[in-house]
Amino acid sequence: MKIPYSWLKEFIDTRLSPAQVQESLTMAGVEVSSCRFLGEGFENVVTAKILEKGQHPNADRLSLCRVTDGAVDFDIVCGAKNMSAGDVVALAKVGAMLPNGVEIKKAKIRGKSSEGMLCSEQELKLAEESAGIMILPAETPLGKPLADALGLSDWLLEVEITPNRGDCLSVLGVARELASITGEKVACPETPICEDGPPIGDLVSITVTDKALCPRYSARVVTNVAVAPSPGWMQRRLSLCGIRPINNVVDVTNYLLLELGQPMHAFDLDRLNGPRIDVRAPSEPMAFATLDGSERKIDPGMLLIWDAAGAVAVAGVMGGLNSEVTESTTRVLFESAHFDPASIRRTARRLGLSSESSYRFERGVDPGGTLFAADRAVSLLSRIAEVLPAKGFLDVGGGPARRRKVTFRPARAARIVGTYYSPEKCKEIFERLSFPTETVQPGEWDVSVPSYRFDIEREIDLIEEVARLSGYEGIPTTYPESKAPEFSADDRFVDVTEKACDFLRANGFNQSVNFSFVSGRKWERLGSLLGFDPAGAVRVKNPISEDTTLMRPGLITGLLQNAADNTRRFIEDIRLYEIGKAFGKAYAEGHFEESRLALILSGKRLPSAWSGGPVSVDFYDIKGMVEGLLLHLGAGPLHPVPTNARPFLEDGKAADILANGECIGWFGAVRRELLAEYEIPGPVFYGEIRLQAATATPRPVGIYRPLPKFPPVFRDLACVFPAGVPVGDVLALVRESAPEIEEAVVFDVFTGEKIGKGLKSVGIRMKLQPSDKTLTDADVHSIHTKVVDLLENRFGGRIRTA
Amino acid sequence: MGTSAGTSDQIERLRAEGLAALAASRNESDLLDAKGRFFGKKGAISEILKGIGSLSVEERKVVGSEANRARAELESVFEERLASIREQERVAREGLDRLDVTLPGRCQVPGHRHPISQTMADIISVFRRLGFSVQGGPDVEKDYYNFEALNFPPEHPARDMQDTFYVESDAGDLVLRTHTSPIQIRTMERMRPPVRIIAPGAVYRSDSDITHSPMFHQVEGLAVDRNITMADLKGLLTEFCRMTFGPGKPLRFRPSFFPFTEPSAEVDIQCVICGGGGCRVCKNSGWLEILGAGMVDPAVFGFVDYDPEEFSGFAFGMGVERIAMLRHGISDIRLFFENDIRFLSQF
Ligand SMILES: [Zn+2]
Repeated sequence: MKIPYSWLKEFIDTRLSPAQVQESLTMAGVEVSSCRFLGEGFENVVTAKILEKGQHPNADRLSLCRVTDGAVDFDIVCGAKNMSAGDVVALAKVGAMLPNGVEIKKAKIRGKSSEGMLCSEQELKLAEESAGIMILPAETPLGKPLADALGLSDWLLEVEITPNRGDCLSVLGVARELASITGEKVACPETPICEDGPPIGDLVSITVTDKALCPRYSARVVTNVAVAPSPGWMQRRLSLCGIRPINNVVDVTNYLLLELGQPMHAFDLDRLNGPRIDVRAPSEPMAFATLDGSERKIDPGMLLIWDAAGAVAVAGVMGGLNSEVTESTTRVLFESAHFDPASIRRTARRLGLSSESSYRFERGVDPGGTLFAADRAVSLLSRIAEVLPAKGFLDVGGGPARRRKVTFRPARAARIVGTYYSPEKCKEIFERLSFPTETVQPGEWDVSVPSYRFDIEREIDLIEEVARLSGYEGIPTTYPESKAPEFSADDRFVDVTEKACDFLRANGFNQSVNFSFVSGRKWERLGSLLGFDPAGAVRVKNPISEDTTLMRPGLITGLLQNAADNTRRFIEDIRLYEIGKAFGKAYAEGHFEESRLALILSGKRLPSAWSGGPVSVDFYDIKGMVEGLLLHLGAGPLHPVPTNARPFLEDGKAADILANGECIGWFGAVRRELLAEYEIPGPVFYGEIRLQAATATPRPVGIYRPLPKFPPVFRDLACVFPAGVPVGDVLALVRESAPEIEEAVVFDVFTGEKIGKGLKSVGIRMKLQPSDKTLTDADVHSIHTKVVDLLENRFGGRIRTA
Repeated sequence: MGTSAGTSDQIERLRAEGLAALAASRNESDLLDAKGRFFGKKGAISEILKGIGSLSVEERKVVGSEANRARAELESVFEERLASIREQERVAREGLDRLDVTLPGRCQVPGHRHPISQTMADIISVFRRLGFSVQGGPDVEKDYYNFEALNFPPEHPARDMQDTFYVESDAGDLVLRTHTSPIQIRTMERMRPPVRIIAPGAVYRSDSDITHSPMFHQVEGLAVDRNITMADLKGLLTEFCRMTFGPGKPLRFRPSFFPFTEPSAEVDIQCVICGGGGCRVCKNSGWLEILGAGMVDPAVFGFVDYDPEEFSGFAFGMGVERIAMLRHGISDIRLFFENDIRFLSQF
C-alpha cells in the first residue's frame, strides 16, 4: 500500500521525518519497504512565464523564447511549438539534473545562446510521452520550485501490511500506528454537513436480512449532484496510490477507502428500484453483471445488495452495472458497511475477483467507523462539488462501538519475552494504543480493545503489543537451558546421506537437485519405457506449468535430463547423483513417499587416462559403484539378481539388489529408446537405491575372532563352464565347499574359439586358511579335488588343461 | 732431433692440438684416447722429454720446463672434461628412471556437492551442535498439518501468504507442504516437552521468478519446554548466525506476523554484500532478511494438547536457497535446479 507522507501528516502532525517514519514503523512491525521523494530530479526546475516567442534566425524548427521567473529573464532556445507568449511553463535552469538523466548546461544552439530548457512532461518523467512542453495553469505563481507547484515536495511510503493488521490498510490506520509508537495524537477531520435536502427516510429505505454476514450498514444520500472530474489534488493522490480517477463521486469513495480504510459504494439512487436496499444471499444460483462488464455466476451463500427488483451489487466486492454512477446521475446513495470477513473472502475467491474493497473487508473493516466514513464522504463531496445533502442518515446495526475486554498479566509478559516490563511501562504502551486498562486484581488487568483491532483477542496479543512497542532490540540474548539432545531415526538418516555424499564425491560424482514434480505428459507418453503406473500417480491439481504436473514416481527422468543438458554443454563424462523422494499411491488410501538415491554414469572410467588410452565405463562400473556405496552405508550382504522389472534398463543388462530378501535397489544400462528420447549418445548406466530400506538394519558391531596362526595356501584353478552359469553362484559354491576356503575370487573370465562355442573359462583363486594346523600337500589336494567335483556336478564345469 | 727453438715450437703445437682433441671429446674413451696420443706415458710430449738428452744443459732446462708445463695444463683440462662428461653420462643414465611427477595420477577427480545440499548440511550441523535433533515429514501433507493446526483457519487471509499447490486426492485435502512447519505439529503430537527439533526439507509454493522457485528448501526449528523465552530465541539465533556467517555481523529483530507464532519476528543480518552501506541486493536498506521466528502461539499448543500456562516455546524457519545465494553470491535461484556441471563444480 502506498501512502503520501503529506496525507499522513494530515492525520498526525508528527515530528518525525519521512525517513524516521519509515524506520519507526518498520521496527514496530509495519514494514515500510521504500520511502521515495517525489520531487527527485526537480531541483533547479522552476515555474516561469514566456514573455516573447520568436523564430530562431538560423533554424526553422527552433523557437527563441524570452522567459522570466519573476525576478530574472532568460533566453531559451526551444524545439517545441505548442507554447505562446503568456504561458506558464517549467524552466530547467542551468545546473538542473532532470529525472530522465539530462543535465542542463549553458549552450549555444545554432549561434544563439540558451540559458536553460523548457521541459516536457516526458522529460520530467511525469508522463510516458508528451506532445510538447508542459503548460501550467495560468494562475501558477512564478519562480516557485516545480515540485512545490505540482505538489510533489512529498514522499511516497510503500507499506507492507501483514494479514493480521487490516486496521493499517489506510492513512488513518498507519497514523494510529505511528501514534502508538511516538505517543503523538491522531487528529480526525471534522465532517460538517449542511443537511438542506429532504429527509433520507423519504428517499430510500434499508433492511438487512442476513445480519450475520452484514452486522452494520450505514448510508447517506446527496441530491443535486453534478457529476464531474474531481479536483487535481484529489486525482493526484488517487493516482499516486495506484487508483485511476473516474469522477468526483466515485473518487470520493476511493479517496475514503485509502484514507479511512472503509470501502464504500456509490449507487445512483434514481436507478435503484423502490428505492429500497436489502442485504441478503440468494437461495438459488443466479447471474449478475458487475460494473467491470463481466457476467458473474453467483452461488447461494454469496452476499448481495438488492433493490426492489433485483441484485445491484456483490456486497463488499464489486458494484453492478445496473446501479453505477454515470455522468447523468444527480442523486447518490453512499453505502458504508461492515461485512463478515470470511464471507467476503469466500465470495471474492470463488468469483476470482479481488478488489481493493474485498481485500480490506477480508482483513477486517472497523464496524465502529462506518457512519463516520459516510459523513466524511458527504462532507468531502460538498467541499469539491455543489450538492444538496439529504437530512440524516440510515444506520442498520448501529449503536455504540463494542469494545473487547482482554485479560493481561504483566508477569506473564515477562515470562514469555524473557525481560521485565514494569506495570507503568505496560500502562503507557496501552495508553498510546488507546487501550484503556482496568485492574481486576493485583497483577491482572482488563484491557479494553477498540473495534478496529481485530487482531487483539487474547493475552498473548497484548504481550506482543508490549514487546514490539518496547522494541525488540531491548530484549536480552540468553541461551535456552541445555538438555541432552535426542538422536532420532532422522538424525541417523542425515548421517547416512552425509556418508553417501562423501563416498560419491570421492568417486567423482556431482550432486543434482531436481524438482520433485515432473511432466505427467512425458511420463504418460514414455509410460512403457519408464514403467509408469497411472493409477498410482500423485498429481498436482494446480500445477505452475505442464512440466510440473506429477509427483515423480522415480528419479530417472531428472538425471537423464541433467545428463542430456550437460552433454549439450560439451561435457563428456557424466557422473551425477541425486538424493530425493519418489512418490506414489502404494495402497488404496493415502500415498507413499520414499527417499531414494539415484546415480547416472557415462563416459570415461577415469578423467585422465594418458597411458593405454581412455577406457569407457560399462555395466560393471555402475554395479561396483552401487555395491560399493551400499557396503559403505552398511547394507548387506548383497545379492544382485537379473531383473526384467525395470523397463528403463536394457534387458539382460539389469539387476535388482536383494538384501535380507528385500529389493533395496536396481542398476543397469539405460534402455536405448530412452537415450534416443533424450538425445544422449550413450551408453549410459543408471542405479537407484531405496535409502531407508537399504539402511534399515545398521551394520552389527564387529566381534573379534582370533587371528590365524598358520600360513594360508593359495590355489588357482581354471574351469570351463556353459556360458549361462553365473560366476557369482560358482564363487558361492566354492566358498561353501570346505571350511578351509576363506576366500574365493575370480581373476579372469574369457570366451573364444580356444574354449569352444557356448562355453566360458573362469579363473578362480582360492585362499585356504587352516585354523589348527599347517596344510599338507595332501590336504590341499583333497580340497582341490572336492571343489572340482562339486563344480562339475553342479555346473557342468571341467578343469581346463593348458 | 733439431734445435731447442724447433723443439719449443713442436711442444706448443702439441699443446694446442691436445687441447683441441680434449675439447672435441664426447665421451670418456675419446678423452683417454686424446690423453694417450698427447700427454700419456707414451704420448708425444713424453717422447719429446725422453729425447732431450741430446740437447745442451741450458736447452734441456728450457725445453724440459716447457714440456712439463704443457703436460700439466693438458692434464688439468683432461680432469675437468672427464668430470663433466661423467656427470653428463650419469644424468643421461639416471634420466631413464626419473618420472614426470606433473603427469596426472590415476584417481577420480572429486566431484562436488550441490550448494543447496551443502548449505542445508551446514545449517543442520550447527543446530545439532546446539542440541537439536532432526525430524522429517511428508512433502505431500494434509491441510490440517500444513495450515489448520498451525493456526491458519479456513478462509483466513494469512493463507494468501503462501501460494499453495493442491494434490488430487480422494482422502481429504492434500497439499504440497508450503513450509516444513507441519513437522512441528507432527512432532508435538508424538512427544511431550522438552522438544528441541529441526525440520529440514523441500517445500513448494506456486511462484516462479529469479528469487522464487516453485520448489525450494527450508530448515525449521522448534524448542518447547518450561520457561523458554523470546530472549532464548534471540540468543540461539544470534549464535546460529555467528556460526554461519562469521562473527561481527550485527543482527536485527523486527516485529512481524506468522499465524503460528506470537510475538513474531523477522531477523535481518547486516548485508553481507555491502556491509550495511546499502546496495542492490539489500535494496539499499543495509539489511538482509534471513529468518522468520517467534514464540509458539498458544493456539498451536491447543491443537497438540500442550498447556500454554505450563509450557512455552519458540519456532524459527529459514530458506536454504536464500542463505546459499548470499553465501555464494548467486543472484538467480533458477541456477540451482539446472544442474549444469560447470555451475556445480564451483562449490
Ligand atoms: Zn547491501
